[in-house]
Amino acid sequence: MNRWLRAAMIAGATIAVGWFVWSSWPPDSQYTPVEISFAVVGLSFMVAGIAAWQRWPASRLGLLFSIVGYLYLVPYILVNLANPVAWTIGNVTEGISGAALAYLGLAWPSGRLRSRFECGVVVANYAQNIAFNTAATMFWNPAFSGCNASCPANVLLIGDGSRSAWNTLGTVEALTGFVITGIVLTLIVRHWRSARGWSRRAMIPLLWIAPAVAAENILTGNLFHFSGLVTYALLPLVLLAGPALFVISTVRARTAGGALGTAIVDLEPGASPGRLRDALARALGDSTLQLAFPQPGGAGYLDTSGQAVDADRPDNGRAVVPVAGSDGAVLVYEEGLELEPHLVKLTAAAASMALEHARLQAEVQAQLEQVRASRARIVEAGDAERRRLERDLHDGAQQRLVMLSLALGMARDRAAGADPELEALITSAGKEAREALTELRELARGIHPAVLTETGLAGAIQALVERSPVAVTITAVPDERFPAAIEATAYFVVSEALANVAKHAMADGAQVTIRGLPGRLMVEVSDDGTGGARAEGGSGLRGLADRVASVGGVLRVDSPPGRGTRLEADLPCP
Amino acid sequence: MSVTPAAAAPARPRLRVVIAEDAVLLREGLRRVLTDAGLDVAGVAGDADDLLRLVSASRPDVVLTDIRMPPAQSTEGLQAALEIRRRWPGTAVIVLSQHVETEHLFELLAGDPRGIGYVLKERVADLAQFSDAIRRVAAGESVIDPQVVSRLVARPRRDSPLQTLTERELAVLGLMAEGRSNHAIAAQLFMSPKTVETHVGNLFAKLGLLPAAEDHRRVLAVLTYLRG
Repeated sequence: MNRWLRAAMIAGATIAVGWFVWSSWPPDSQYTPVEISFAVVGLSFMVAGIAAWQRWPASRLGLLFSIVGYLYLVPYILVNLANPVAWTIGNVTEGISGAALAYLGLAWPSGRLRSRFECGVVVANYAQNIAFNTAATMFWNPAFSGCNASCPANVLLIGDGSRSAWNTLGTVEALTGFVITGIVLTLIVRHWRSARGWSRRAMIPLLWIAPAVAAENILTGNLFHFSGLVTYALLPLVLLAGPALFVISTVRARTAGGALGTAIVDLEPGASPGRLRDALARALGDSTLQLAFPQPGGAGYLDTSGQAVDADRPDNGRAVVPVAGSDGAVLVYEEGLELEPHLVKLTAAAASMALEHARLQAEVQAQLEQVRASRARIVEAGDAERRRLERDLHDGAQQRLVMLSLALGMARDRAAGADPELEALITSAGKEAREALTELRELARGIHPAVLTETGLAGAIQALVERSPVAVTITAVPDERFPAAIEATAYFVVSEALANVAKHAMADGAQVTIRGLPGRLMVEVSDDGTGGARAEGGSGLRGLADRVASVGGVLRVDSPPGRGTRLEADLPCP
Repeated sequence: MSVTPAAAAPARPRLRVVIAEDAVLLREGLRRVLTDAGLDVAGVAGDADDLLRLVSASRPDVVLTDIRMPPAQSTEGLQAALEIRRRWPGTAVIVLSQHVETEHLFELLAGDPRGIGYVLKERVADLAQFSDAIRRVAAGESVIDPQVVSRLVARPRRDSPLQTLTERELAVLGLMAEGRSNHAIAAQLFMSPKTVETHVGNLFAKLGLLPAAEDHRRVLAVLTYLRG
């Protein structure tokens, strides 16, 4: 809101209320409370006008609130001015704030009337009020109220006036007023019933303004003859409720921005777009809010409940705002929210942030998945390479060394007896060849245990146990076969663990347990050594944990100092 | 055992041997040395299927087979050996292995250990020893590679009765595990057969094993004990 406009409105309100107080000075005992309540009610509408202008700059509601406030006070100021023309105008416009209040109710919340008919109703209401006031004033002689020279003259007075005519006119005014008020109330109820989402919520203060319109009509009308004090004390209280309620709702609406922030923060990570929509709708107060995504191939938009949405030409009473950086998602909201463009912008920004966050999260998840898969592939490729290497050694170098041994054996038999020196030479060459074979066999086994591929875990673990320098017992090991990567990992765990036991644990014995559970393979190696092994330590445990993780498993190390080491690998196994 | 002068022995028919080995050079080399050693090589095979056909056709006394053979280079030779023993129980089989691990050995011995040999491939270099192994399995003995046995015997153990054996008894135990008879053990350790029998009785008692009269039962009992 323009600060000059706000300053002008504050100045106007101050002048109007100040003038009202000045015009009714000095206070006389009987009507002072009534005058105070008048000032308060007038002021309350003016304050509500400023609030409305600030909250909904695009709405004329602020103007209408202010007009009600001014029209409420001005006739009384004029009557109190002790000037005949002013007095007459004051009387002609008396009660005209009721018509303005009806206008406010009908034009809620945009400040614009919805149809020509409603325009007609408003004009008729004003005209009825002024026409009857004018006519009645013509028959009102100020002397009827007992003041003679002290009262200003009635410039419209016809002759000496007529109390009965004045009374009759008052009754007819009240009756026509009833009809018009009835029409106004009916229209307001229809507005309320057809309002959806945000607009319906924005109409809550109207729940008070409508009864106020009715109350003013009944209390000030000439039909029921309430005593002056009831009329002038009760009516202000009823009237006050409208602007008060509006100001309260305005203050609450200011927290909607904060509610949006809270809604986004409270959204659990990975929440579906549907949950995001619900959170935004709650924070915004628009239960009709839709979050819609473009369908592939230009097949229009679908909202989070699967309903088709035309984002280019929204339905009547709906408006669309794009969600930035979200591949074309849109928010479709109740049109009334256009009055709060800031809130709409905030909502779109919040949605954009949440969707971006979800997208990034999905991306990171996908990348992580890729890295996991590629790690598993690298390890498997490594395993395959080791298998190939072992096979090559077996079929190549080992075979050739056997051949060589055989040939040397034959050569030695030939040389036997004939040339003892040559025989000794060949014997020693054969011994070298055999030792080379033994070394090569150990090397090949270290690269990859053929027995694992050939017979599975049971044989391979047995072989490990047989060559361990520490006494090892096998508690359990399944006979069935598992996926190659799982078998290789389980073997690697036991092999590394037993190597560690031999190197570091100073243990008398160790125990190997492998159990196939539904969906997983549990590998456990424990010893009775010194303990104190740490997974983060420089030992092979780090590599072991990596290896276990490569197949999606978990390695646990329990190694309290002095109480042995227990290594447990939990391998997923389809 | 009655002592018969060698000269008086009737001319024994030469042992018929079949060789299965996928490396051509080694296969041909084996054929040559075995023929030179006085054995009748009835045929050679390059894979397990060939071997089975050959055995079916020529019904040899002894089959020599590599464990790993085409097509999968896995345990085809071992499977063929088991198949041969199932179909022609009298046929002796020596499996040539590159592994000192006992997994295959026990698979092989699980049926009837008589006439079974598990020998590391490099033993072929020592012709005398190798042809002796062939003759032993042909005679129904079991032949387990000394290196395989010594690894089993040397395994570290906790609170095992094995630790109470004397050095002599351990030596007797190892030779039993290799499939040797009491006579052979006596000859190798320069003892009388009687002493060997005493040692055997003692160590069986210490290990809590039931004394077994037949050599082949004994081999299995001892190997199973050592492996467990």
